[in-house]
Order: sequence, then C-alpha cells, then structure tokens
Amino acid sequence: MEITLNINGRSQTISAHPTDTLLTALRHAGYYSVRYGSDDGTTGAGAILLDGRLVNSETILVGQAIGHHIETVEGLTTQVGELHPIQKAFIETGAIQSGYSTPAMILAAKALLDQNPNPTEAEVRDALSGILCRETGYVKPVQAVLRAAAYLRGEDVPPYEGPEIVDATYIGDLPSSPDDKISGPETHVTDTPATHTKPKTDVLLTSSIPETRVVGKPETKVDAVKLAKGNPAFVDDIELRGMLHAKLLTSPHAHARILDIDDSEALALPGVHAVIHYKNISRVKYASGGQSYPNPLPHDQVSFDNKVRYVGDRVAAVAAETPEIAEEALKRIKVTYEVLPAVFDENEAIKPGAPVIHDEDDTEGIHDAQRNIVHHIHAEVGSVEQGFQEADYVFEHTYYVHQVQQAPIEPHIAISWWDSDERLVIRTSTQVPFHVRRMVAPLLGLPVKRIRVIKPRIGGGFGVKQEMLIEDIVGHLTIKTGRPVRLELTRSEEFRSSRTRHPQTITFKTGVMKDGTLHSMEMRVVGNTGAYGTHGLTVQTVTGLRGLSSYNCKHRKFDCLVVYTNLPVPGAYRGYGGPQALFALECHMDEIAHALGMDPIVFRRKNWVQAGDPMPIAPLLGEGEKETVQFVPVIQSCGLNECFEQGMKAIGWERKYEPGWHEVPGKPHVRRGLGAAMCMHGTAIPGLDMGGASIKMNDDGSFNVLVGATDLGTGADTVLGQIAAEVLGVPLADIVMYSSDTDMTPFDTGAYASSTTYISGTAVKKAAEQVADQIRERAALMLGLERWHDIRLENRHAIAPDGRSVSLEAIALHSLHQDQQRQIMATASFVSMDSPPPFAGQFAEVEVDTETGQVTVTKLVMAVDAGVPINPITASGQVEGGMTQALGYAHCEEMAYDESGNLINDQFGPYHIYRADEMPWMKAILVQTNEPTGPFGAKAIAEIPKDGVAPAVANAIFDATGVRIRRIPFTPQRVYRALQAAKEGEAH
Amino acid sequence: MYPPKFDYYRASSVAEAVSLLGAHPGAKVLAGGHSLIPAMNLRLADPGVLIDIGRIDELRGISALPGGGFRIGALTTHAMVAGASELPAVLTEAASMIGDPQVRNRGTVGGNVSHADPASDLPTVFMALGATFHITGPGGSRSVAATDFFVDLFTTALQDGEILTAIEVPALPAHTGSGYAKLFNPASRYAMVSAAAVVTVSGNRCEAVSVAVGGLTPKATKAVSVEAALVGKQLDEETVAAAATAVSGDLGDDILGDIHASAEYRRRMAPVFVKRALLKAIERAK
Repeated sequence: MEITLNINGRSQTISAHPTDTLLTALRHAGYYSVRYGSDDGTTGAGAILLDGRLVNSETILVGQAIGHHIETVEGLTTQVGELHPIQKAFIETGAIQSGYSTPAMILAAKALLDQNPNPTEAEVRDALSGILCRETGYVKPVQAVLRAAAYLRGEDVPPYEGPEIVDATYIGDLPSSPDDKISGPETHVTDTPATHTKPKTDVLLTSSIPETRVVGKPETKVDAVKLAKGNPAFVDDIELRGMLHAKLLTSPHAHARILDIDDSEALALPGVHAVIHYKNISRVKYASGGQSYPNPLPHDQVSFDNKVRYVGDRVAAVAAETPEIAEEALKRIKVTYEVLPAVFDENEAIKPGAPVIHDEDDTEGIHDAQRNIVHHIHAEVGSVEQGFQEADYVFEHTYYVHQVQQAPIEPHIAISWWDSDERLVIRTSTQVPFHVRRMVAPLLGLPVKRIRVIKPRIGGGFGVKQEMLIEDIVGHLTIKTGRPVRLELTRSEEFRSSRTRHPQTITFKTGVMKDGTLHSMEMRVVGNTGAYGTHGLTVQTVTGLRGLSSYNCKHRKFDCLVVYTNLPVPGAYRGYGGPQALFALECHMDEIAHALGMDPIVFRRKNWVQAGDPMPIAPLLGEGEKETVQFVPVIQSCGLNECFEQGMKAIGWERKYEPGWHEVPGKPHVRRGLGAAMCMHGTAIPGLDMGGASIKMNDDGSFNVLVGATDLGTGADTVLGQIAAEVLGVPLADIVMYSSDTDMTPFDTGAYASSTTYISGTAVKKAAEQVADQIRERAALMLGLERWHDIRLENRHAIAPDGRSVSLEAIALHSLHQDQQRQIMATASFVSMDSPPPFAGQFAEVEVDTETGQVTVTKLVMAVDAGVPINPITASGQVEGGMTQALGYAHCEEMAYDESGNLINDQFGPYHIYRADEMPWMKAILVQTNEPTGPFGAKAIAEIPKDGVAPAVANAIFDATGVRIRRIPFTPQRVYRALQAAKEGEAH
Repeated sequence: MYPPKFDYYRASSVAEAVSLLGAHPGAKVLAGGHSLIPAMNLRLADPGVLIDIGRIDELRGISALPGGGFRIGALTTHAMVAGASELPAVLTEAASMIGDPQVRNRGTVGGNVSHADPASDLPTVFMALGATFHITGPGGSRSVAATDFFVDLFTTALQDGEILTAIEVPALPAHTGSGYAKLFNPASRYAMVSAAAVVTVSGNRCEAVSVAVGGLTPKATKAVSVEAALVGKQLDEETVAAAATAVSGDLGDDILGDIHASAEYRRRMAPVFVKRALLKAIERAK
C-alpha cells in the first residue's frame, strides 16, 4: 500500500505496509545508506534519526514512524560533490574503512552535535556506542566526531596529520656481502640449517628511504566520498527487476544422514520458483576455501549432500518471489533424517569409537577418515629429542584457543543473474572473485568464460569471505529459474553457517640453556577444522610456521593433527593460525622467563630473530600440495628492537618495576599489570600469491588503474592508487581505481595472507613503470629528443633534462588523437618467492578486579614494523582495528554451544564485540624499515595486529595477580575461578 | 529480516488500547518495541496482533507529585529517565547503563518492566525504591506495589487486557542516598547480577535501608536479610561487607546461569555487588 512518510524534510509516498520494518521500507524506497547488520538492533548499521534521535530502523515499524521526522545520510547534502562537515571529518581522519556502517555513525554524530556542540571524548564514545564497528577500533571515528564538532563550531581546523612514523634507526645485522647469503636453492632444509655467523653490519635506515610525493602520505581514501554519503555501492544496493529471494534450509542436527527430501508442498506454494537439494543438484566435489589452483585436498564438500555434519549445514535452498514466501516454503520441505552420534572436541574426535564424520567414499585426500584425522603435518629441523637432552631445562605447557567468528557487519550476500549474452553474473561480497569464478564453474556446469564475478564495495571480510560460500547457491537458483536471485545470510546464519576461527589445543615443549638461550622447541597441535577441511591444512601449517619462526633455536619440530568434528566450519580468519600460535608461544616464553628468573623482554630479546636470521622451518610448512618455498628464507628487514623501545616507552613499561604500582589507590580489590608479546607475521604466500594490474591513460592525462586486488574496506584501492600516482608523477586525484571484476580487471588471487600492498602493489608499480616509459617515449617524440630514459614525470608533466616539459594531458591527446596514435597502457603482474615478515611489539595494561574476575584492559599499544607504510592513515587504521578484534578474541568473544552442538550465541546480543565506549586507550606506532623486496619498501600490516593482544593480556594478568591462565577468552567467570583456585592452592 | 505477519492497530487513548486488547485476545502491546520487535524478527515471538500505544501522549513524561515523589509515565524513554536529575540517583544511574543510545532513545520504562526480563535493570531499582505500579484494564484502574508487580520470569501482575500506565516512586527522606551496581553481561549490557540500594544515614548509623537484587534471580528480589543485618548498625566498610553476605539467604534456590556466568558464579557475585551498591548509596547519603 502507499504510505506517506516524512523523509529528510520531504513528505514522500512510498510503497510499504505499516507492519514492515523501517529498514525494509527505506531500502526499498532507495535509501541504501540504511543497512542490514542485525535483526535486533545490535549492530546499529540500520540506525537513522527519528525526530532527531538515533534509533534502529530494523526494530521500528513503518506504522510507528508515520508522522515523525525521519533522517538518513542522503538528506545531509543535496548536490553531487557536496559534503556535510561531519562527512568531511570522517573522510579526512580515515574513520571510514569498509564504510558499511559509516552512514549510521555519521547520523549518531549528528544527533550528538545537534544537542551538544562541544562534547567530551567520553560523550562521543557514548554516542557511537550503539554502532558496532569491526574495522576501525573506533579511534578514528571518535577523532572524526571531535573534528566535525570543531568544524561546526566554526573553528579553524588544521589539516589532519595522521599518525607519527618512527624510523627504525637499527634494523639488526644484515649479511655483509652476497656471499653470506643463506637463501638460494643450494641450502636445503631437511638437515639442520646451514650454520652461519651473523656479519655485523648495522644499517641506518633513514638515508635509504627515498623521498616520495604520494607514497607515505596521509592521502584520503579514494572511495571515501561515496561511502560517507551512503551512495549505493554494496552488493545489496541494487534491485533487479524480477529478482527472486533465496532462503537456506539448514540442519538442526549436528550429524545426520538425510534419508529423503520431499519438496512437493514447498513447490506447490504460490510464488515459489525452485527448491534445490541433493536430489536435484549434481554431486560435484570441491573445497570451499578460496585458494590457488589446485585447491588443497580434501575436496570434501558438495553443493548439497545427503549427509549433514553440523548444526547449520546446508540441506536445501528455495527461490521465491519474496523472502516471506521463501521462508514459508522452507517450513514445507519435508526432510527425513537419520540422526547420528556427534563429536565436538578435537581431542575426543580422534579417539577410537568416535563417530566417523566423513564416511563417504568419494572424498580423496583425508589422512585417516576412520579417526577423523584430515591431515597429519610433521616438520622437523635438527632433532628436538637430542635438543631436550642437551638442554639445561625443559618446559612444557599446554594452551587452548577457542572458536570465534569474523563477524563482518555486512553478512555474506550474493546476487546472480543471466546477462544479455546469457552469461551468469554473480555480484558478491567476496575477498576472492577470481577464485570464486574458477571454483563455482564446475559446480554450476558452466565454463569459466560464461561466468562473470563482480566484487563491489564490501562491508568487511576478515577472511570469512575468502571462501566460495554462497555463490553456488544463487548460481544454481538462477540457472533453475532464469531469474535474478538474491541470497543474504541472516546474522544467525552468518554465525552458524559461514566460517570461524580454528580452535586448537597447543602444547609447547622447550629446552633452554642456563643463560636463557633457546635450544630445542617442539610444538604439538590438535587443530579442530569442524565439519569440513576448508583451510584446515594451511591454517595449521601457518600455526606451525608462526610458532616456530619467531625465535632462533637449533632444533625445532612441528607435529599437528587436523581433525574433523561436528562444529560449524572454521576457515580463514585474519591472522590465519597465527593468533593461535602466538597466544601459546608468547605465554610460554613468559612462563619460561619467569621460571628462569629473567625479565620477559630481556629473555625474548636474547632469542628473537633479527635481520640476517634464517627461517629454517619455512620450507617444510608451505602451502598446498607443493612445497612452494624451495630455500630457507632470510629476514632482510626487522625493526623489532625499535618496536619494543617505542612500545615500552608508550605504555610506560618501567612502572612495572615501581613498588606499589600494581595496586590501585582506593580500590583494594583491583590489581594492575603490564604484559608484552612479540609478533611476527608473513607477507603473502610465497610462490603462490599473484596480482595483476592494468593502467591506461585517458585524454586528460588521468589514468584508469584496473586491478584484480580486492579492497574489502582496508584501503587497498587507495594504497594501489598511491603507488601508481607516485610512479606516474600525478596526484592521487588523477587515478581512477577499478577493482575486482573478472571481466574487466587482470587476475589477482584476492585479499588474503596480507598480500595486497606487497603483491598487487608491486604489480601496479611494474605496470605504472611501463606506462611511465611509454609516456617518456611520447614526450621525447613531442620534444624532438633522441633519449627518453632520463625524462622525469612530476607534477603532471614530463620534464626533460634540458628543462623543457610537456603536460601529461598534451601527451595523452597527442598519443590518442594526433600522431602515431596508440593507447598508452600496460599490464603487469607479480609473484614473490619472498614473504618478508612484519614485526611488532604488543603491550597491554590491565586491571583485574579480584572480587569478580573482571579484567579491564586499560591500554593497548602496538608498535609495528611493516616496512614503509604506503598510507600511514590506513596502515594505523589496520593496526587499531586489528588490535580491537584481537582484544575480543582475548577477552570476550566465544562461540558457545549446547550439548547438541547448537550455537547458543548466534546474535551480537550474546556474542560480544567491543563497542566504542568500552575501548581501552589505544596507540598504534608505525616503525619504519625499508624492505628491499617490497614496493617502496613496504611489507604487510593487515594481520599482524591480530597476533599479540591475547598473550600480552595473559601476561599482564599474570603480572597483576601472579596467576597464569592458559585458555582464552578471559571472561570474568574464568578469571575468577583461576584466582580462586590459586587462592585455594596457596591455602593448602 | 522482517517480523512474521501480524495485524497492527494504533490506539490513541488508554481506553481505546484497553478496548482493542479486549477485542483481540493474545494481542501484544507495542510501546517502544525494543524488546518485542527484535524478538519477532528473530522468530522468538509471533503475536499475531500488535496494539501500538506509542502515540498516547498522556503516558509519556515525568512529573513531580504534590505530596513528594515522582510519576513516570509508562512511555517515558530510558533516555528521558537518565536525563532527569530530579529522580533518585539509583534510577538515573541504572537507566543510563541500559543498552546503547538507540535502545535508550526508543525503549520505554513501561515496556521494560512489563517485559519482566530477569536481567533487566529497572525492576531491581523500582523494587529497592518501593515504587507503585498503576494499571488500567477492562475493570478500571488499580495500583500494585513493586514487590507484587514482579511475579516470575517474564511474568508480572498484569492481567489479560490490562496495560501499565505509570510508575510512582516515593520521595526519599533527608540524608538518604541510593546506588546501583551491576555485573554487566559483556554482550548485551544486561545485568547478570545487579543490586540497588537506598540508605538513610543518621550520623554514621544506618537509619533505614532498602536493598534489592536482580539479574541472577527469576525476578527482582528484596534482600531483606541484608536490610535486617544492616539497619541500626554503624556504616563502616567491614559491617557493610558482612551485611552484604547475608544476601545468600534471600536468593532462593532458583539461580539463573548461562554461557556468560554460571549460577554458582552469580551466587558468589551477589554479595560483592550488594556491597558496592550499598557503599555508593552511603557515600551519596553523606
């Protein structure tokens, strides 16, 4: 029916029903800035203003809003190019990452500033507290609101500077001559690594970082304006004519055989167009992880199986005229299950007699299906047994890390349709559009050439979208119905039926010499890969790599079982096995230091790797079927010493040694503590991750940069644009970025493994250098010069050594229209055999309420060496946001199940992620080194912020209370019990 | 997502609301909708008929009563309560801790207490304050004391066809302070254990005290053992802590537990939060 609402100051008649939620009605009417994040108002992504107050549109009915004044971000400006001061402040401060919830935050800011023009930071945090952000850590949004307040008060606001960058003045010891290099195919690893003496060559960095004009500068994001304005940019921000709505039927049982499915009643329902399940979809085996060809075994999934292996597993899907009809149809599908016994714990699943989860006979590559062991990973350098015998002390501790969810505010969503050439178009929220196209093709029975995958803006991924997760379903349904089909996971489905982080049981056994030198380290892991093996091999190899590469040690061994259980499926999650390893490793190191009576940082520093050190276990823990690293990699840049110096200063580490500091005046029940952890990660998967870029010049001297790289909100498009602009001598404004469309851009493996800046960035740099050469040649032609190599590109001009210059616009016009016409354009790609590690020092300060077990993390500091930050604002945003996710992992996030394997906390209500008003004081310090293999000296930054928070908090709790807790998260109840147990232990 | 299908009526007066409720047995009253609509979107509730009372302006607002104390209309939002500095501190404090700005802007006091979620903050506070609940139904209007209003888990004294119109809180005597302390559910911000205290101090002696606990019990519960242990006593920290331990006698056997906090843990936390609420109240009384 027609309903008149007052929207953005205009009376507007829209098609809606009083019982619709305002979210549905506003989106249907084209207000796409109002976004779905939750059904219960917990994300705030759908927040709007009602009579000037912030409210959640998904929990208000249209009927309740009639006659009230509704405001959305669309109403803040009236013209193209115009920005409201709040939008301007959000853009300048880098407060926008994916931008999915940015419109809601901007409205929250407006509601606050309309009432209170001069708010305190606490008031800003309270105002933002109902809008969950999984990306920024709220640091920059809070700065944005304070900056907007100053704008609105009419004050002069200085330009936003971005974070401080500290040059690492000391990066350790590099090989002094090429002869000392340990890398190269001649050094094999099955033996003890080639012994080498570290040549002492300190490298001063400041002189070696070249001057740049665009790279290294706090440029605003290239996609910031559209995101601040809430312009339609995400998958769901289109509505195709005749589009059907899909819904999933998922398993209520953790383990069951499907004996039969009867879909006749569902199909009989008017408006239902298709019901798909195992009986009418071909059985094509695959592994859903978005990884390079050939995807690692086992290929243990099919689109629809006759067996379900966890609560939430796929059973059937429906396409219907409306979501309501589709939901009704689900209820009419009759499924006959034979319920089987289930197992959830990784240590139980490998015991004899445990239910066999993959008993099908068509899955290849399971190590021992009868014992639910998917993989047995074994790697050894030297002999740990011998090492333990030689060591003065041997320590062994076991740690447990739990299951958490990536929880992007935008859930998985895909829309597919046949285009006019009868090719299937899939518009999807993915990190891996090219993998999706290749992987979905056999499932749909279409050749790759008949599929186009488009990735528009996406509202965060963090690994959960490094997966071909729902694209096959919309594809099957479009093929069955001929109609466009949309499938959006609900928040509950996102928790239950997408992907999670692998739980693990990790044991470290370490032999140490009297002087604190590590001598022998063994790491045993049982990794829980849930019902399917996707990412199971590679996440666990990364756990081993990260656990056994951070410290120098003569003997090292990794032994790991990757195990099936009936839990929802773990997959890729930012950090990818690293956070698990580092929690165990960095607690273990602290425990050893304590036992030896050494300062934990002194002990670490004695053993940690430096530039020039090899990573001997790396070749044994490669990705996939082949060992992609054929030689022992050597660390070429390492700012660890500087990271610790800066981080210790910023958090006030020395206070720890002051008498009485651990007590809080006036709060006898509260104890204070400081903890640290060192972190080391990787930069891309060597030998596998490949990025491609094409750059073409336009009439006005601007450039289109087409990349397969997949910006999932991180700022990748901006960073890649900066690299192109730097090489081409133009401002970033002259670069038009277009990313990730399989028809339009070159291939890229996608956004994962911290690879985009390094891999895709180098591809862009190479393509830009080729374009630059073409421009130079053209300039030489125009200027009548013989030589073109020494022409400089600067300030939108090509400048000859004799001082004469031509503008890029003149060059473009000449080349396209006037003489010896050609398109100035180049394509390049890049793959690296190196994976230079970024390093970091992570510090945490906590207060522990000993009466309740409540841990309050009061400060987090991370000093990161990610090489040269191409964009300090987006880089620090990665650190702040990553630390915040890591804090949730350490402190409060936990997937909890009942005894039948049914997830209890499938909403943000009971699954907690940090909000703006709960955050600790947080500081990200960028320690700059120059990585010789990276574009302009860059290494990765995306994942390392996930690694150190949990162990730093654990170590801080120990510092505060003397109690060691080897299991995360540190919920009040768990900490209380540990404190009580320690107290009782003391009493005995 | 979207709620399941239902019929929607809008009442413009209390009388009309009562009459609509009479005509539609099983209908639910929609105030702010911040408990009900999420539950419907999540398919946890499917009422069939909603009666929207959100436009009955007489139900909105806070007014001072001639004989002291305040009348809080059922449709008054948490944000309005949090901002009303004339109200007892325990009430504004608890209201400001509810949810987030969107919930406080939209959620109503009447909706909150009628829902009688055991983890809710306000029932405990109204219990400690000795509030009176005004109800209108087909048989006219009646008033119920807080101790009688909360009956059980999600159950109040409201009968079919009745709606809550207002809550009255009495004026606090001189030298009286009030305080609220809770163990937050880390996710929802609801109370896992909560305590509200109102203390009248004479010298350093406890002249009168009212304490209620919530979060861990099926309904907000008066901590009479704590009150008995404290009244007439000197208010030093040790005495307060000792009195707070008496709360274990008030909790009964039915202690709630969930993934965030087991029943056993909550039981152990009750004295801690009773003590903290009392100390806050005593500090404010001085």
